[in-house]
Amino acid sequence: MRRIGAAILSLAAFLAVWKIVTVVGDYPEFILPAPERVAEEAASAIASGVLWEHTVTTLLEVVLGFAVGATAAIVTGIALAKSILIERVLSPYIVAAQAVPILALAPLLAIWFGGGLLSRVVICALIVFFPIAIATMVGIRSTDPLLSELLRSLGARPAQRTRLLEIPSALPVLFGGLRVGVTLAVIGAVVAEWAGASVGLGVLINIANQGLFNTALMFVALATLAIIGLAFYGLVVLVERRLVSR
Amino acid sequence: MRPLRLLIAILLLPILAACECAPFAACGATPLETREVTLLLGYRPDVQFAPFYVAQQEGYFAAAGLEVTIEHKQAPDVQRLVADGQAEFGVADATDVMIARTAGIPIRYVSTLYQSFPVALIGAAEDVPTDPADLAGRTIGTPGQFGSSWHALLALLDAGGLTADDVTIREYPQFNQVDGLSNGDVELITGFRNNEPLRFEARGDEAGLLTVDEFAPLPGPGMIVGDELLAADPELVRAFVGAVAAAQAEVIADPGIGFDAAEAAVPTIAEDPDVARAVLEATVELWEGDGFADGAIDVELWEAGYATMRRLGFIDGSVPLEEMIATDVVGP
Repeated sequence: MRRIGAAILSLAAFLAVWKIVTVVGDYPEFILPAPERVAEEAASAIASGVLWEHTVTTLLEVVLGFAVGATAAIVTGIALAKSILIERVLSPYIVAAQAVPILALAPLLAIWFGGGLLSRVVICALIVFFPIAIATMVGIRSTDPLLSELLRSLGARPAQRTRLLEIPSALPVLFGGLRVGVTLAVIGAVVAEWAGASVGLGVLINIANQGLFNTALMFVALATLAIIGLAFYGLVVLVERRLVSR
Repeated sequence: MRPLRLLIAILLLPILAACECAPFAACGATPLETREVTLLLGYRPDVQFAPFYVAQQEGYFAAAGLEVTIEHKQAPDVQRLVADGQAEFGVADATDVMIARTAGIPIRYVSTLYQSFPVALIGAAEDVPTDPADLAGRTIGTPGQFGSSWHALLALLDAGGLTADDVTIREYPQFNQVDGLSNGDVELITGFRNNEPLRFEARGDEAGLLTVDEFAPLPGPGMIVGDELLAADPELVRAFVGAVAAAQAEVIADPGIGFDAAEAAVPTIAEDPDVARAVLEATVELWEGDGFADGAIDVELWEAGYATMRRLGFIDGSVPLEEMIATDVVGP
């Protein structure tokens, strides 16, 4: 209850500061709309169904992109942790891929994979991949070697050691990667939409900003993305609390 | 700076000031002191902005008492920053001006840069229909649901009795629709007549065009200023617009001058000078249209474009055309 109260208080303070800045700065609406104007635009976008249409598409991209990216990253992270050879072969490519600006690569990916959902999921998954793979690798490697030795002496096979010891030991660090990854998934979906899409919150941002010159509607799309990011982050934290003993 | 041109500019100034106000003489604006102003251009530094480079390098701005800083911004930011007074001048699509003004952004279109609307539908020569009605069922690539490309596409479809629902639209927000066309992902694309056809043909295909002018006339890009500046200092606006138009006239008369100025301002042009020359030649054609009018605004064309934009739902008519353009800066 106290946590909810603090969140409401924080939101109220944020809105108050926002409002004060618009009043003191005397910004025109096309530069910085006031919060009540954004709320008015949000109500209109919800009533017309525009916001929902774009939100559903982005949600689908985030969920699929995160699922594909996180799964691939966890598998790769385990492989990296358990094999020095795999790490030496793959690490340079993984790091290099992370260093390449996805914004530059995204239009090419949209052409290679077609302009549909597949390319957007791939772009989203690529953005999600790195922090989760590295967190998995670090987590697995942080397993207590004495416990690992104990299981080995008890005759546990490698797969059993991974399932019963290494993955549970890696969970705290792995969830750190998942927390970062899930917020990046939201950014990934928008980047993917900017590389080629007709619907989605990234598209709505472009339409509002460049097509309608409606700054308030752009803020509505941005706020919706923030809410999606917060919701998924909260979901990951919830799962973490369930799985990771303190 | 070429000494001969500078000398001519200096010699012409008192003559122009003394004579009846020719549209671009910056009458009454003989500079007492240099005024620093910022000009915002969209896109990126490119040969198509040659008039501004010529005006800067050949002393047209200086002769008008202006020290101009040129910056490049995304299209919607140009309009917002000019309206907010963070920059004095900008270049914007006329159709965007209609929408921005309707959305409450206080800007005015004060002079025409492109007499012809620059956007067209482009495809392989054999794939481009001559009648917009034949666009039904086609797959068309466009940057997105914004900007003059989108307005042109819907206007063309409308001219053919069609809507966006009658075609398949694929969006290329990174403006790489030529890749989609070359790749065979789309049959047609929207693009600028002075750019995309040349890039498409550089890959070995012959390009065909379906131009907007013929079916749904829309006004082309031009200079914008904020309402406040126009009201407070119309002479400054006239001086600037006059300098740009004079430089543009010089480039039209001799594109080589524009190319040299652009090459000096944009070093990357030297990497592919043939394409840059071709872009400039195609751009000059668009500037001229049926005849270079020194930046004058074609009110009839604006009225037709306003009606089209209203019919397509981009504007609601709440802001009259007179509040979108200022016809007295250049004169008829």
